[in-house]
Amino acid sequence: MRPGDRLVARTVRGAGPWQAVLAVAVLGGAALQLALPAVLGHALDALTGGRGDARLPLCAAVVGGLVLCETAEVWAAGASGARASSRLRGRALRAVLWGGPATTRRFTEGDLVTRAGVNAEEVGRAPDALVSAAALAVPTLGALAALALLDPWLPAVLLAGLVLITLVLRGFLRDSTAVAGGYQRLQGEIAARFTGALGGAATIAAAGTAGRETARVLAPLPALREHALRLWRANARAGVRTGVTVPLLEIAVLAVGGWRLSAGALTVGGLYAAARYAVLGAGLSGALGGLGRLARARAAAGRLAELLDQPPVAHGDRTLPAGPGTLEFRDVSAPGLTGVAFTVAGGTATAVVGRSGSGKSLLAELAGRLADPAAGAVLLDGVPLPELARAELRRAVGYAFERPVLVGATLADAIGLGTGDPGRVPDAARAACADGFVRRLPRGYATPVAEAPMSGGERQRVGLARAIAQGGRLLVLDDATSSLDTVTERQVSAALTGGGERRTRLIVAHRPATARAADQVVWIDAGRVRAAGTHEELWRDPGYRAVFQEGA
Amino acid sequence: MARRRGARREVVRALTADPRLLARLAGWSVLEAAPALLLGQAVARAIGDGFAAGRPWTGAAWLAVLGAVWVAAAYGARQVVLAVAAMVEPFRERLTARVVAGTIRSAAAAGRPPGSAAVARSTLQVELARDALAAVVMVVRGFLFTAVSVVAGLLALEPRLLPVVLPPFAAGLALFALSLPALARRQRAYLLADERTAAATGDVAAGLRDITACGAEDRAEAAAGRAVAAQAAAGRRLARVTALRTAVLAVGAWAPVLALLAAVPWLRDHGVGPAVVVGALAYLTQSLIPAFTGLVEGLGVSAVRLGVALGRIAETAGPVQRHALPPISAGGDVPHVLLHGVTYAYGPHAAPVVDGLDLTVPAGGHLAVVGPSGIGKSTLAALITGTRRPGAGLVLVGGVPADRLDPAERVLIPQEAYVFAGTLRANLCYHGPPSVPVEEALAAVGADALADRLGGPDAEIDPRALSAGERQLVALARAYLSPARLVVLDEATCHLDPAAEARAEEAFARRPGTLIVIAHRISSARRARAVLLMDGTDVRSGTHDALVATAPLYADLAGHRPPPGRDPEREHAR
Repeated sequence: MRPGDRLVARTVRGAGPWQAVLAVAVLGGAALQLALPAVLGHALDALTGGRGDARLPLCAAVVGGLVLCETAEVWAAGASGARASSRLRGRALRAVLWGGPATTRRFTEGDLVTRAGVNAEEVGRAPDALVSAAALAVPTLGALAALALLDPWLPAVLLAGLVLITLVLRGFLRDSTAVAGGYQRLQGEIAARFTGALGGAATIAAAGTAGRETARVLAPLPALREHALRLWRANARAGVRTGVTVPLLEIAVLAVGGWRLSAGALTVGGLYAAARYAVLGAGLSGALGGLGRLARARAAAGRLAELLDQPPVAHGDRTLPAGPGTLEFRDVSAPGLTGVAFTVAGGTATAVVGRSGSGKSLLAELAGRLADPAAGAVLLDGVPLPELARAELRRAVGYAFERPVLVGATLADAIGLGTGDPGRVPDAARAACADGFVRRLPRGYATPVAEAPMSGGERQRVGLARAIAQGGRLLVLDDATSSLDTVTERQVSAALTGGGERRTRLIVAHRPATARAADQVVWIDAGRVRAAGTHEELWRDPGYRAVFQEGA
Repeated sequence: MARRRGARREVVRALTADPRLLARLAGWSVLEAAPALLLGQAVARAIGDGFAAGRPWTGAAWLAVLGAVWVAAAYGARQVVLAVAAMVEPFRERLTARVVAGTIRSAAAAGRPPGSAAVARSTLQVELARDALAAVVMVVRGFLFTAVSVVAGLLALEPRLLPVVLPPFAAGLALFALSLPALARRQRAYLLADERTAAATGDVAAGLRDITACGAEDRAEAAAGRAVAAQAAAGRRLARVTALRTAVLAVGAWAPVLALLAAVPWLRDHGVGPAVVVGALAYLTQSLIPAFTGLVEGLGVSAVRLGVALGRIAETAGPVQRHALPPISAGGDVPHVLLHGVTYAYGPHAAPVVDGLDLTVPAGGHLAVVGPSGIGKSTLAALITGTRRPGAGLVLVGGVPADRLDPAERVLIPQEAYVFAGTLRANLCYHGPPSVPVEEALAAVGADALADRLGGPDAEIDPRALSAGERQLVALARAYLSPARLVVLDEATCHLDPAAEARAEEAFARRPGTLIVIAHRISSARRARAVLLMDGTDVRSGTHDALVATAPLYADLAGHRPPPGRDPEREHAR
């Protein structure tokens, strides 16, 4: 069984009582639908024959039952779909969150939204689709049987017509997929031009060419309209064929039935019933929709299963022994880094320098287990990071990034994201020189993140405050002060080194001043440690000096 | 509210833009509804005058007439689809144009593009709006024409049928009208909940690294879980109201049928035979019920979808553009650049990134701007090129306020060079007819080898096939060719190697005009006549040598070792 089908099966089992309601409603509805023409036909004969209206309550009961079944089906399908989709969405979210940053390396953001959104919705409809597909045979075969009971000639007429409908539908699918290809290609062309023009926003703004660019992006529109109209025409053509086939089928049955009526083999009510059965039998095309939905649910389940089957990051259960926060890289290799080994003594600062693309950020990710090495080990106070309990690891290590993403409803939430103690927020913000500008905002710390426009430097300071509030032993700063002016940066580093506490710091840096202030510099070049020592020692190497020439 | 009015205007415009189209639609709709007029009559006659009367050929003839009408109606239905297409395709094009123009305009104003996901979303919304409008037009129109035809058909068949059939049908219709607002509300709430879940999922994906680093997986799960749960609740509420809709629909559809059956004895007493009853049933089950079903689903789902999609499109596209003030020319001379007391902040309460800046770049001057990344250098470039307006103070280029200056008189190359699919020449002549031969500009900035490799100026180029550095070379040659006498290079050479960068910058230094270079490497500052050092709102200017001597940050950036025994930062913070 494929993973997608397993997921569909589990979703159907998980639908619980709704599944039973659905099955009863769909099958009951199909049966009643099948009974209705016969009941109505008999009633018609009885009533027009002047035999009283004893059949009328039966008709009302069948119609009432049908209404009840249809209503129950719609309700059950909607409710079970909502429940199943929300469960699947919850699972998808958990898979993303507990799979860690590795997830976004495998799936793009838009892809994740699609899988957890549209795909989960489609899989959620699987119970309904399955029941509908299973009930598919009831109206078609039932209508054929009912016709045969009325008169043996009638099902032959209907069958011939059904073959015709099937052929029509096949022709339609072939037609429209070919036309849709050209349409989608042009749409993609417009989207590509659009994205390109948006990428050139600064150029366009300065050149005052927004109008011209709009025209350029929209240039394929006439051709797109051409394709769209072709698609409409294909649709309309198929509409003609189906729109003609079903009524003609009914007329054929009426004609044949009419002759049988003349011959006395059929009553007027029977003829009415025959016409309705013909329509019911021809409704196969609508019923086929259930099969299509099931196919879509299976395809969506396949895509969703890829995400759900991703294993969560495993954590140990150890706690850290008392210690100063010594960080050790022991022959660490990962895609992009080879044999990295160094130790950051507890309470000291180590700067990591290197050209862009040399592997500095990956090294920072490894230091706090945002990524795991392929070989070697990273240890904090002697404990390999994977052996630590998750809460213990995150209490010990705080991260600040060049471009922090602020998560949380308000700024206070965003800064306190890594600590359970909101009381630490103002102190941390002061240490990161963020307190001042946050307080100037209209609602201070209670300002929603989305309503606080910030410069790159301000955003970095909020990110720093978040790390300071969190990390107990080790702070990993990945280019986290690159947008601060020198005065603010000096104040921030003074706050990090001064006071009572001295946390271990691993600082990815571009500025010589930062490297100079560190106790040790690790120089990374093409994924390897090229040299380690103090800034003064390394400065003698022209290659080292050249690292700082980039990015004035 | 205003947005909703705007959406309605958009729809009304689409429907009434072409009166001839409307007439065509009405005409074909009449043909499409012809079976609804004839169906019951033909069936009643086929049975009553034909099959049941022992004249099967008469019955067959009536059925043949009905078949012919169905075929004609199918042709009418085809023409209806095409007329609706002719109505909604221009509607789609207008929406697309609004989205594209609005997004380009707001991206230009913000100086930063929205993500590709936003682009995909707006494309999807436009498609949804078009499909929804087509569906609404189809069902409303179909229902109106069918209902009128059925009433006329019943009237012709037997006037006594109307008081039997119409009241229960009208009751069903009224019931639907009553339930429509609730239905629309639930449907809308569900669509919005769906969008919120998508946004929450997107937020989790975008912030995954930070969430993991903060150990906040459970809190993020709870926050996104709330959106998921809210959507599930909205889904359940929608299911309930959809079930109600189904019930209403069934009552409206079946009550007339039962009423007709119940009235059979009464009808028989008035001489109405079984054939007429079957004909009336055909009217109901074949024409009126399908049209009513379409109406219920179309208005309950498509119309709501249309409203939501149009609202989203209006948000993306922003307000309809007001006409900007006409640009002013600074005259043909090489302009000087003057900033006086310029202050700029990202928000009304944010600390300014540029605060009270005074700066003069003389006509023909060459200034390099140096400072840490994110400190506001690009903002300064945007202020000088007039794409951002200062909160306070004046930015004058050749005596003209920068935001009013004729865009043809300045050129900005940002870090991300803009190259579009087209010929190399079209890319190069982006700023107007070139002032020197294209080949000369290519050679001057060092893009000649690239142009040869691409196949000359008239070769088609695919921007995706070019490296970031190659795109920068194209943008540099383009700026070199422009008639503008003020050139601002905002880290425009950051993807070039130092030698290529030097060649390009020297070409611009030789070119007549005023040059401002936002420096990526300190070597750019060495080549400039004047240097502006930005360090927060602390700004210093001078020559390279003067700044090395007096500004420790600059000395640091320039890679000069500080003299022993002095802490440069303390010095600077003095």
